[in-house]
Amino acid sequence: MKKSVLRVISQIPKVDEAELPSLKKRLDIVTAVVLCMVGILVLRLWHLQIYMGADYRQQSERNRTRVLALPAPRGNILDRNGRLLVTNRPSFNVVWTRDDAPSTEEQEAIRRRLATLLGVDLSTILERCSLIDELPKYTPITLAEDIDWPTLARIENRRFALPGIRIEARPIRRYPEGDIASHLLGYIGAINKQELRQRRDKGYTRNDLIGKMGIERIFEDYLRGEKGRRYLEVDARGYEQQVLAVREPLPGDDITLTIDAELQHTAEQALAGKAGAVVAMEVQTGRLLVLASSPPLPISRFVGRIPPALWQSLRNDPLRPFPNKAIQDHYPPGSTYKIITAMAGLSEGVITPETVFYCSGSLKLGDTRFGCWKRGGHGAVSLRRALAESCDVYFYLVGQKLGVDRLAAYARSFGLGQRSGIELEYESAGLVPTTDWKRRTQREPWQEGETLTVAIGQGFNLATPLQVCMMTVATANGGTVYRPQFVERITKPDGTVVRRFAPKPLGTVKGDRRFLRVIHKGLVAAVNARHATGALARLDGITVAGKTGTTQVAGKNRIRSRKNDDIPYRLRDHAWFTCYAPAERPEIAVTVLVEHGGHGGSAAAPIARKVLARYFGIQPSTDNDK
Amino acid sequence: MPQKHDLPDPTPPQPLFRFDRRLLANFDWVMLLAVLLIATCGLLNLYSATSHSNPGFFYRQIAYYIAGLGLIGGMLCFDYRRLAAYHHLIYLGMLALLAAALWFGASVANTQRWIRLGFFNLQPSEPAKLALVISLANYYARHDTAEGLGLRDLITPGLLTFIPFFLIYKQPDLGTGLLLLAIFASMTLFAKLRLRTFAVLTSASAIGAYLGYKFLLKPYQLARITTFLNPDAPENRAAGGYHIIQSKIAIGSGMKFGKGFGNGTQVHLDFLPERHTDFAFSVWAEEWGFVGSLVLLGLYVFLLLWGLNTAIQARDKFGVLLAIGIVSLIFWQAWINVAMVLGLTPVVGMPLPLFSYGGSSLLTTLAGIGILMNIRMRRFQSLPRHQ
Repeated sequence: MKKSVLRVISQIPKVDEAELPSLKKRLDIVTAVVLCMVGILVLRLWHLQIYMGADYRQQSERNRTRVLALPAPRGNILDRNGRLLVTNRPSFNVVWTRDDAPSTEEQEAIRRRLATLLGVDLSTILERCSLIDELPKYTPITLAEDIDWPTLARIENRRFALPGIRIEARPIRRYPEGDIASHLLGYIGAINKQELRQRRDKGYTRNDLIGKMGIERIFEDYLRGEKGRRYLEVDARGYEQQVLAVREPLPGDDITLTIDAELQHTAEQALAGKAGAVVAMEVQTGRLLVLASSPPLPISRFVGRIPPALWQSLRNDPLRPFPNKAIQDHYPPGSTYKIITAMAGLSEGVITPETVFYCSGSLKLGDTRFGCWKRGGHGAVSLRRALAESCDVYFYLVGQKLGVDRLAAYARSFGLGQRSGIELEYESAGLVPTTDWKRRTQREPWQEGETLTVAIGQGFNLATPLQVCMMTVATANGGTVYRPQFVERITKPDGTVVRRFAPKPLGTVKGDRRFLRVIHKGLVAAVNARHATGALARLDGITVAGKTGTTQVAGKNRIRSRKNDDIPYRLRDHAWFTCYAPAERPEIAVTVLVEHGGHGGSAAAPIARKVLARYFGIQPSTDNDK
Repeated sequence: MPQKHDLPDPTPPQPLFRFDRRLLANFDWVMLLAVLLIATCGLLNLYSATSHSNPGFFYRQIAYYIAGLGLIGGMLCFDYRRLAAYHHLIYLGMLALLAAALWFGASVANTQRWIRLGFFNLQPSEPAKLALVISLANYYARHDTAEGLGLRDLITPGLLTFIPFFLIYKQPDLGTGLLLLAIFASMTLFAKLRLRTFAVLTSASAIGAYLGYKFLLKPYQLARITTFLNPDAPENRAAGGYHIIQSKIAIGSGMKFGKGFGNGTQVHLDFLPERHTDFAFSVWAEEWGFVGSLVLLGLYVFLLLWGLNTAIQARDKFGVLLAIGIVSLIFWQAWINVAMVLGLTPVVGMPLPLFSYGGSSLLTTLAGIGILMNIRMRRFQSLPRHQ
């Protein structure tokens, strides 16, 4: 023990024998005070429980008090310009406190009357009542949700024939912009048993709504607000006599997104009828402007109870509306991956910006021929032209010199092969194949031919549209990979900021960043040069830099000569286009994926062009797709 | 660990884990039994109040109790006089926590009372009560005069009390703030005041209370007082008199023997707010009646008197005052809580120690109990008294 501590302790005065009587006297006084004060409590208890007890017992049995929960309005969700994407409207539910009607005959009569008034079958009402016996007495249950005005009026007119029936106002979701950004926003629904068990501590009860997907689910704690309560005094038949106390509900916090509703609309309209995704990001920050997945989910029809038929038809839709294709589905990135192959080749010194290869239309490796998409060949191609015209043979050769593992390190540094960390559920990590990966998962050695397919973005490669957009952002801004951000800030209803989100750089790309300028020139050419594959993304007055991609779905079975329309839908190629603009000082990056859309240049580039045109406020005068 | 023979006290405090066998023999079984009895009542009551709506409370409270028993064990491992040696650190740590709650605390219902620790939300005003008791006990133990304390002697303890009071008042949590003042008053009175000092202080606090009522109270606090004075007035029924009316109906309807475990209708229909925390006693009184309430109050009286008995057993003045402080801490909380639910005092947020749900309060109370047991355990461990 420390000396100083010992000294302090030894200096504490002892209790002196002489002081003991005084101490005892004081303690006796304290004891007396304690006993007297407790005596007051005992007297009061006697007064309440014995003297007045019978009165209070009667009051408690008459049960004249009701507690009604006042649901809180959920927070709004707004776009970056303050446009409301999700808000609330009032709705009216029919609620019944069964035990207000004394006899079972009377309860039966009320059920019948109500069925008629609501225009539903009695069995529907009975089904809703089935749980009632498991609940404490006098627990109100909901018999009908979101009734219309005429029904409301009919019930109100007959309320004296319906003891215990009450109309409860409840705010429910409204979508002023329609089913826009549906996968991102998500939806809410009735809380299920499991959710209730997990979240009981947080004040959830049986009839609550809770976020089921997307922002509604992830930011549930901010959006939900705090329930209020109304304490009512009722008469013997449950009719309201007076309000005893009210605690008003606190509305939830508002969430402002980085999404631009205008652009999101443009992207979703351009995708209409197709399966695919559009991602647009600010090049210098990683803020998302568009996160669209098509077909959209009809979230505005999910309000209240989701009709089973609707659910079934969504499940059976061949275009698969449920997954958020921008982040939950992955596809081989196709020729958009050539950006990475070029960067790896340049940085590792296997090529220089001046390297020229000869493309005869295919490359022979052992007994296999690896074809270029242009069967006649490109002839002598420079890197710039190889990017502009998407020459496969050029990148086969680069890939062959690099080897798959060196390539993989660059792919990872651009954000591929790992989750971006976006706060949305079920994000796919994609896949960046390596020799080690193949040995581990397939128990087979790596084949050199596979390196060739990987080098042009096919084969085992998998990436989400979001990852391809992150890669494009890093290419455009000089090598910084940003974490995609979709929430700008969370504010209280009075406007004070609860939480602010900031751009977060995840890292920088591997290799010499000066080479990004070389690739940049190739990407500008890929949109603007004479034989550019991405020509359909050209804009008046703004230079666009981009890269097309066409992902083979059917592999070797695919018959190249056939036109896209002749191939069965499920075997058609996926179309990619990823780009940024203005090329000199990039602001926005747009990535488009169209599932089974065919060629990237013809199916995806026009969609990216529409988004860019809207972003820069250009009238798409030469729009040949509309 | 070297023994220092040059020190005035030849029996220095025992080091950690080198247990004197007398310590075990002196273990305070009585206090432990009293705590366990109250704990049993509290857990039964919590189960009845929350099992149908939120069973998590019950299991978490059991976990807090287990942690709390561990804490008692921890409080017994060292000589309580070390608390006097480290009172500066304890006090400053407490101020730091209170300031942290104000500045980065989680805002619940517009108050900044909590520090989120992930697994546990700490309410630093709870341990603050105990820290204040330790500091005051240390001060008064060293300033004990036969003729009583003068005004000048009260400046330091007054400041010691006022700083945490102010930080807690700022949260705002007036109830806990006033509790600190009550602890200060109790310990000061016990430490003996000069008559003149007493007269001056009484009149000063009367004026202070009046001014506070006039200028310092927030509107909702004022409303609670006016509500209390006239709970049945229509405008007050809405403002908060409702809670008291419901609580009185619950307690009164318990009558002589209560409605029985799990049968409290007031409770189960959600009429009672905060039925697991501040209004836990109402639930007990409704279900166990007058008899059950007397039993529970009796257990508290027993625990408090046993604590006072510890004070007279203590070997030094620090121990005496520490015991008095802890007893007053438990007493005032319990009394104010029960008086509030009986409609005798305005509604303030005050838990019933050992009984209400809540980790911070329970652990603080059990730490205090641990100190009481520590004092009793080490009562024979000193030399014959000086002179």
